[in-house]
Amino acid sequence: MTDTTTHDFDAIVVGSGITGGWAAKELCEKGLKVLVLERGRDMPAGTGYLGEHAPSWKLPFNGKPDRTLWEREYPVQSKVYAFSAANIQFWNNDRENPYAVDEGTPFDWYRGNVVGGRSLMWGRQTYRFSEQDFKANAMDGHGIPWPVDYDEIAPWYSHVEKFIGVNGKKEGLAQLPDGEFQKPMSWFAIEETIHGRLKKHAPDITLTNARTAILTEDLPGRSACHYCGPCENGCSTGSYFSSQSSTLPAAQATGNLTLKSNAVVERLEYDKATGKISKVHVIDANTRARSAFSARLFFLCASTVGTTQLLLNSASAEFPNGLANRSGVLGHYLMDHFLGLGVAGIYMDDTDKYYYGNRPTGLYIPRFRNVAQQDQELDFVRGYGYQTMINSSNWTSAFNNKGFGAGYKNALREIPPSWMFYMGGFGECLPQQRNRVYLSKTKKDRFGIPQVAFDFTWGDNEKAMAKDLLAQGERIQKAAGAVMSIAFGDAEKLSVPGAGIHEMGTARMGDDPAQAVLNKHNQAHDIPNLFVTDGSFMASSSCVNPSLTYMAFTARACDYAVTQLRAGQI
Amino acid sequence: MNRRQFLECAAILVSGATTGRLAFALTEEQMVYLASAPDYTSQKVDYFSPAQRKLVAAIAQTIIPRTDSPGAIDAGVPHFIELMVAQWLNDGERSIFNAGLKDIETRIPEEHGKAFDELDGDRQLAVLEALEAAASDSPWYVQGNIRRAFISDAPFICQIKELTAWGFFTSEVGATTVLRYNVMPMRFDGNTPRTPGESTWAPFNFYH
Ligand SMILES: Cc1cc2nc3c(=O)[nH]c(=O)nc-3n(C[C@H](O)[C@H](O)[C@H](O)COP(=O)(O)OP(=O)(O)OC[C@H]3O[C@@H](n4cnc5c(N)ncnc54)[C@H](O)[C@@H]3O)c2cc1C
Ligand code: SF4
Repeated sequence: MTDTTTHDFDAIVVGSGITGGWAAKELCEKGLKVLVLERGRDMPAGTGYLGEHAPSWKLPFNGKPDRTLWEREYPVQSKVYAFSAANIQFWNNDRENPYAVDEGTPFDWYRGNVVGGRSLMWGRQTYRFSEQDFKANAMDGHGIPWPVDYDEIAPWYSHVEKFIGVNGKKEGLAQLPDGEFQKPMSWFAIEETIHGRLKKHAPDITLTNARTAILTEDLPGRSACHYCGPCENGCSTGSYFSSQSSTLPAAQATGNLTLKSNAVVERLEYDKATGKISKVHVIDANTRARSAFSARLFFLCASTVGTTQLLLNSASAEFPNGLANRSGVLGHYLMDHFLGLGVAGIYMDDTDKYYYGNRPTGLYIPRFRNVAQQDQELDFVRGYGYQTMINSSNWTSAFNNKGFGAGYKNALREIPPSWMFYMGGFGECLPQQRNRVYLSKTKKDRFGIPQVAFDFTWGDNEKAMAKDLLAQGERIQKAAGAVMSIAFGDAEKLSVPGAGIHEMGTARMGDDPAQAVLNKHNQAHDIPNLFVTDGSFMASSSCVNPSLTYMAFTARACDYAVTQLRAGQI
Repeated sequence: MNRRQFLECAAILVSGATTGRLAFALTEEQMVYLASAPDYTSQKVDYFSPAQRKLVAAIAQTIIPRTDSPGAIDAGVPHFIELMVAQWLNDGERSIFNAGLKDIETRIPEEHGKAFDELDGDRQLAVLEALEAAASDSPWYVQGNIRRAFISDAPFICQIKELTAWGFFTSEVGATTVLRYNVMPMRFDGNTPRTPGESTWAPFNFYH
């Protein structure tokens, strides 16, 4: 390396979640000395998972939500399905670490506050973007063209999939490219029945295994899933991908990793003389002690909103509107998938069948609208997919039955003579300039850092798409033989923004420095040693869960950054 | 399986997966695992009077009686209800509960000449059915699911039914002997035969 000034580290990675773990692994494995700074508490694999396998009779109130505590400390986080008494230690305390909820428009910001970030609680759904996804902006003119195409990123998808372990089934679909899959999990009998009927009555619909970052075959140091069920409480056998189970141990094994928890990165310092970032300023979350660390390379992996906050808060004379923000787009073009709309169907088939084990994922119906080309009759662009789940109901949905005594008890105890096939849609969101994250002018957090606020409203395209999603959901349930179907969700209102937990796009990439914060390598157009690889780089959202794409771009950016560093270009 | 046994098991599983990571080796002793914590219902509580305690036990047992499997009293439900009323209900809900219990405490002896817990089973059932009939337009009865919040203005009979069912099926007795419970299934099979009268699996998570 040509840089002769001494640095504390070769590279600093901010954040230890899904993308930070990947940056740490890749950079360490390439021989760099890496410091990972994580604002959250330490969360050791296994020993930190206090609620793993906890039975209901051990939980406070036998598992009924602790309403007082949740409302006081976790008013936002406690709204998500994955939040529970068995994993409360993973989540951000909303009172201690607030954002400006009363400014702008409503937005639910879900986040962890631990080493591993949201990799511990995520839903593990793992899909590739397609060629069509990467071309969408250029084709229909929303947003700016992606500077990367599918062929360029495909090898990086493979690189990531092989390492994290993804189970799934190949389908040969252009709109949902196959990846490197472990063997798929098996199906409920009713799912096989539905699959057979859809083939006949709705041949345009594919029903396939949800591609999920859970092992069905052992990997080094990690064992195949034992089907306990509630992954969001942590997994000591490392069976689902998390930073703890996968990337951080690999980084650690190189001897090149230093990880500091409770390290809140406050801002980055830009050195006018070199035109590069020289150091990061850090506040200790417990002691409030301040420190600074220098490095040659800086990778921001603090999650979309965290990174955007950091860049905005690192404004200087050279970058008055936020670091690396000569384009003025930083904070804008925020996207999230809408969800919580769909159709549930009741089936009276396969009622002589039951199940054994808790399969921690479902099936998936990939996008089938506007595939290959725009469907002429549709009043929206792009598309949506459905995540599906089998619900065999139990006492929790029957305790408000009428009656008492043996009959009541039996009805709650016994297996009901029906199945529910639940289809929840996830819709693509267009990038819009008006949807944004910004810093509050008046509110600061306990570290003196300006709080973030959100302005986000769904557009007409999302609403039109949601209407179609509901109508098509009814068609699919009918074709599959549901005796009854129940649509849920409001296509006018859609979900509370943020509830998709796929926030992205606020430091987008693009070839034109006047319109994008990052170039095609996730490198800031304005600053060569600054890379942003969490969801902020996304130029469009597709309709599939995004974290695999974040990981693939992170790995690719690390490769590029180290090559450039070694060539003396950074 | 307790937490220690599980972690030992996990270590074996992972070491079978070649080159162990075993990051969970040492600090177990320092951590309080929910899985090895005392049961929620092992706490003491002194909220009801002895007479009320008998009433609550009799109501819970009427809702979920012992049949060929354990009932509410076997599963410790009355104690669960007392804990929940004391600790979990908010003030408004608690006063609905207290008023409902008071009503049974005073009205039943006036109408029947003895306390609810001394009535025969049919009479007890009739008392609860009358309460349910009077409450039947409460939104509590709308077929919903577990993701709904506790309905704060639900009448007493609904409150005690919900607490009884919850306390029963989430108890160790209810989950493991009335329902079926297995925290380490090791495989998934979606096509097992169903025998008539079989119980569901105890749900592994309580979405709210
Ligand atoms: C319940 C749930 C279900 C989900 N399901 C899926 C799914 O099925 N599929 C999918 O693709 N995605 C899913 N997601 C989203 C997924 O978790 C995120 O896309 C992913 O974690 C993003 O990775 P990241 O590295 O950008 O952020 P994170 O994993 O959130 O990590 C960011 C880290 O940076 C730290 N940090 C932030 N600011 C600072 C700072 N200033 N200084 C130091 N550290 C900082 C944070 O504490 C955090 O640990 C889900 C999320 C949740 C919560
Ligand atoms: S279901 Fe499988 S992946 Fe999920 S926590 Fe249990 S063992 Fe781990």
